[in-house]
Amino acid sequence: MDFNITPERQALVESVRSVLAQECPTTLVRDVIENGSAPEQPWRSAHELGWTSIDLPEFLGGLALGFTALGLVIEQHGRFIAPGPFLATITQFLPLVCETGTPEQLERFARPVGAGERTGALAIDHGCAADREPGERLHAHRDGDAWILEGERRFVLDGDVADDVAVAARVDHGDGVGLFVVPQGAAESRRVVALDASRRLAHLRFHGVRIEAGRVLGRPGASALALGRTLDRATVAAALECVGACQTLLEMTIEHAKNRRQFDQPIGAFQAIQHKCADMFVQVEKARATAYFGMMAVAEDDPRRALAASMAKAAASDCERLVCKESIQIHGGMGYTWESDVQLFVKRAKTLEALFGTGEAHRRRIADLLEV
Amino acid sequence: MKLHYDADTEAFRAELRAWLQANQPTLEEMRAEPVCSSAHLTGWSRRWQRHLFDAGLLVPGWPPELGGRNLSPVQQLVYHEEMAKTRADRTTNPQGLGIIAPSILDYGSNLLKEKYLLPTLRAERAWCLGMSEPGAGSDLAALSTRAEVHDDRFVVSGQKIWTSGAHHADHCFCFVRTDPDAPKHRGISVLIIDMKAPGVTVRPLPELSKPDHVDFNEVFFDDVVVPRDHLVGNLGEGWSISAGSLAHERGMMWLASAAQLDGTMSRLRELAREQGPDGRRIGERGCIRDAIASLYVDAQAMWFMGYQGFAKVARGQASPEHSVLKLFGSEINQRAVRIATEAQGVAALDVEFEGCGYDDSYGRPPWMTQYLQTYRATISAGTSEIQRNIIAQRVLGLPRR
Repeated sequence: MDFNITPERQALVESVRSVLAQECPTTLVRDVIENGSAPEQPWRSAHELGWTSIDLPEFLGGLALGFTALGLVIEQHGRFIAPGPFLATITQFLPLVCETGTPEQLERFARPVGAGERTGALAIDHGCAADREPGERLHAHRDGDAWILEGERRFVLDGDVADDVAVAARVDHGDGVGLFVVPQGAAESRRVVALDASRRLAHLRFHGVRIEAGRVLGRPGASALALGRTLDRATVAAALECVGACQTLLEMTIEHAKNRRQFDQPIGAFQAIQHKCADMFVQVEKARATAYFGMMAVAEDDPRRALAASMAKAAASDCERLVCKESIQIHGGMGYTWESDVQLFVKRAKTLEALFGTGEAHRRRIADLLEV
Repeated sequence: MKLHYDADTEAFRAELRAWLQANQPTLEEMRAEPVCSSAHLTGWSRRWQRHLFDAGLLVPGWPPELGGRNLSPVQQLVYHEEMAKTRADRTTNPQGLGIIAPSILDYGSNLLKEKYLLPTLRAERAWCLGMSEPGAGSDLAALSTRAEVHDDRFVVSGQKIWTSGAHHADHCFCFVRTDPDAPKHRGISVLIIDMKAPGVTVRPLPELSKPDHVDFNEVFFDDVVVPRDHLVGNLGEGWSISAGSLAHERGMMWLASAAQLDGTMSRLRELAREQGPDGRRIGERGCIRDAIASLYVDAQAMWFMGYQGFAKVARGQASPEHSVLKLFGSEINQRAVRIATEAQGVAALDVEFEGCGYDDSYGRPPWMTQYLQTYRATISAGTSEIQRNIIAQRVLGLPRR
């Protein structure tokens, strides 16, 4: 297994890092959280620099660099807890469209996303995501050529702002999965007062929402595989962004431990602090390596990809739990304040841990796959 | 970043695997002569190591005259992956082959190389490593075994402890204090001591699991005479040899640990199919299921972290992975074995077992015995706490006290 990052990929990582360092300081994140601002710059840069089309095929105007390139970009977004539509649009909405879309649908929904003209979201049941099930909260039934959606989707990332919302719903035939692209506004949305206010979460209610045939993805009743494959990508991407956020928390905590003096020495000289930091480091290394494996398994369409995605999420969850706990604790009284940036990263990491199946849910899934 | 190596590398793997499968010792041979310590060279293990040496498959990164074939780093990685899957380890004296032979190669005089290097590689000599002492465990530089320096000889007095395989070893690669007045890291030298020399006494130190499980020993030196030319490197150079010698093969040592963890995991998953104390299948119990899934992720992550570290080393970057993998692998294995004992419930208390508890090719000790033995890895070669110190200070740059 070759974990070597090629010089080209490393250059990509460096460029994403330097752009985000400049354009996405925590002051910008705070402006989103405290003043509800909606900065356009990170998203504009993302398509100007080709990040939005990095894993899109060339016939749709993409760079076709593959999922490993996209994954490395996502990890960097996590390091800066970049706000904006990148994660939902590129790693959740777009893969579902690409998995299932007809040539017309790819032109209609995928190409504009790669060009940075439209945004997207993915509405699934997070409680069933680890099992790759659509759940029972949203049903679809046929009405002539069209389909009618009835029910709800909760905690949809960017669900109230994305131009299009891809939706997985239960249908009563075949494999039970139907996939649809719902235009913004068709469902009744309510924004969640979310832990991480730098990201928008919304509940969507579908009161007999009618979906025209052109917005039906694939064949309802024969879409479980496409949903699963999309969830593999979305799950690995969430894990990678979580790892990025945890990496920054680790670095902030180490800096603090070196600089904060008590009892006439840096607190980082105390073994109690050193051992916590060492354990955090191990968890970040573990989560990153496991997320990279997931990334490669998806990129190469390896038979282990579903297992690898669940492993990536489970490892990211272990990492989030320890790193968030210890970074607040080691920052002490400062870590308990609103002014400290620690809380920003903790909230992003905790959000990513919960979306697309918690660590516990993915461990259940892993046990099933291993036939424990 | 790819899941597989290129076709040439995979072709090399296939060829190597076929050779190993065809030439490895049979289970019958191994069971007929169980290995009972880390310096116990049995008939089959001597033949196997010699066979590997002759085939250039003993230390594959080395040149043919030293039992290698100048393999590239990636090929060496493949070699260790495949070796981890064979029935028998490439040597039954791991410290001799993995630490002492390369140290003699790096630091030894021509005389010492001639006398000891090839015989060690050909499994004609077994070694123990004289490091820990009653007063010098983690704080190795505090060692006090003394060697008086004379023109033609050293005279050694003192005691080593937790000396693996000393009761089967021909020689001891021994760290001694040659200058009691120098700062503690500077007064240490390395001597090669004949374990049959007058004044050497070995007292086996049974492990906590059972009185007949013996790898460790106490070794006493009472005015043991060592020829002057049996000094390795220069006088006072012992501390850098210790750093250098322990670094040998570190780059790939994690593979054995990852393979061991895989073995534990597959046995744990077998256990989960058995009926537990409540009559249900063990794997049906929620907390056991969760623990097995969690451990599976960690066991796999052990490989991924190892490959990640290998990629860094191959790029010429420093890799902190050795301490991370040593810490992580030993603690995860310990947790996996503990989960097995918990899953067994009261049945874990039956520890009836016939073997010497060291080699598992002819039967594995009960889970609870194995659990006690997992502390070997969390304590020896730098305890978990020392590994955390190393990570905090050398990798993360936190200040020393």
